Amino acid sequence: MAIKLSRLLVILSLVLISGCYPNGAEFIDDIDLVYTNYSNQFGFSSKQTYAIPDSVIKITGDIFNDPDGDHKPSFLSASSAAVILDRINQNMLDYGWQRVSKNANPDVILLVSSVTTTNIYYYYDWWYWGWYYPGFYPGWGWYYPGYYPPYVTGYRSGSVLVQMVDAKAVAAGVESVPVVWTCILNGLAEGGTSSIAPRVQTGIDKAFAQSPYLKH
Amino acid sequence: MKKIFFLLVTALCMQGAFAQEHGIFIISYPIAFPAGNLSDYISNTSFRGINLEFGKEVKPNLIAEIETGWNVFYQEQPDQVYTEGTASISGKQFRYTNSVPILAGAKWILKSKNNLVPYAGLGLGTMYSDRSTDFGLYRISTDAWQFCLRPELGITFKSRAGPSAMLGVKYYASFNSSDLDGQSFFTVNIGVVFPYGL
Repeated sequence: MAIKLSRLLVILSLVLISGCYPNGAEFIDDIDLVYTNYSNQFGFSSKQTYAIPDSVIKITGDIFNDPDGDHKPSFLSASSAAVILDRINQNMLDYGWQRVSKNANPDVILLVSSVTTTNIYYYYDWWYWGWYYPGFYPGWGWYYPGYYPPYVTGYRSGSVLVQMVDAKAVAAGVESVPVVWTCILNGLAEGGTSSIAPRVQTGIDKAFAQSPYLKH
Repeated sequence: MKKIFFLLVTALCMQGAFAQEHGIFIISYPIAFPAGNLSDYISNTSFRGINLEFGKEVKPNLIAEIETGWNVFYQEQPDQVYTEGTASISGKQFRYTNSVPILAGAKWILKSKNNLVPYAGLGLGTMYSDRSTDFGLYRISTDAWQFCLRPELGITFKSRAGPSAMLGVKYYASFNSSDLDGQSFFTVNIGVVFPYGL
């Protein structure tokens, strides 16, 4: 009897173990990340003025996306851009910077862009049909563009990128621009504007909080 | 997960081989307290775990045994800034460590005049530790097989012939490997001892 009972207990332990997993992230903002980096060679305290465009660029997968042929990239909607740009301007003002127009010889220029990625998980393979028509092997691709299988699961993640560029260091003939401060906000792009907007604003505030060298 | 199931199935099959001998099977619930490098990473006590031992009596008062188990350590690190050089990153971290000891050793049953029978043991073998940090949408994982030495002390409460209750303390001393510093912890085990072959 003792042997049978212990066998049962080992089986029970196999079942118990499968239920033994602790919690992880519960809320969307548990997954938000703010990354900043800067050049410690650049004298931030001696720079006073900055310029910033009125729009936020939307980064897509294309090398250069000019959908309407007006020689400009695609932009985020004005309302979404306002959420981001107003917060950046407020933080710069709090840190003692002065905003000027791009023609008024600014010390630095801020460039803001955003990107979203939709991650879809599904699996579909020609081998599924090998029993029906011999010769379909795993790993074959689609020959004729057809319908895509319905996706099993997916999520959207997004990033907002802010780059501070040294406007005075653009040398003639040199095709690269030095970035003296960079900030990336990353998180889930789910939940609609009313949920995303405050998280982006909090992220921008955090980025400035962890960059005390920007303060005058 | 696969490795753990394999281990348990092996343990289950091996038990059949001992059927004609005298021995014990112990199942216990470990409460684990991190030590050393593990406590720098996760300081919370672990209440998720299980411990299994199979032993065969080789001499009166000496049992040769094998042990395995699983301990889960978890800690939610609040939103804070991590800085290295000029780069800073802030967010919440969810820290996990899964530790699976696989040991062989011996237990010495000490003399007792009453129902409380103390024992001391020593095991050695390997500890598999899997450390994962969830940071934003990313998971950073490292795992390691480390040499492990495990002294223990405990007491069993024998009220009648058949199963008895046990209470013990074990210290899993894991040694540094190339990927991770030694992930050591000690446990307080509460469980049941099932004798067989008697």
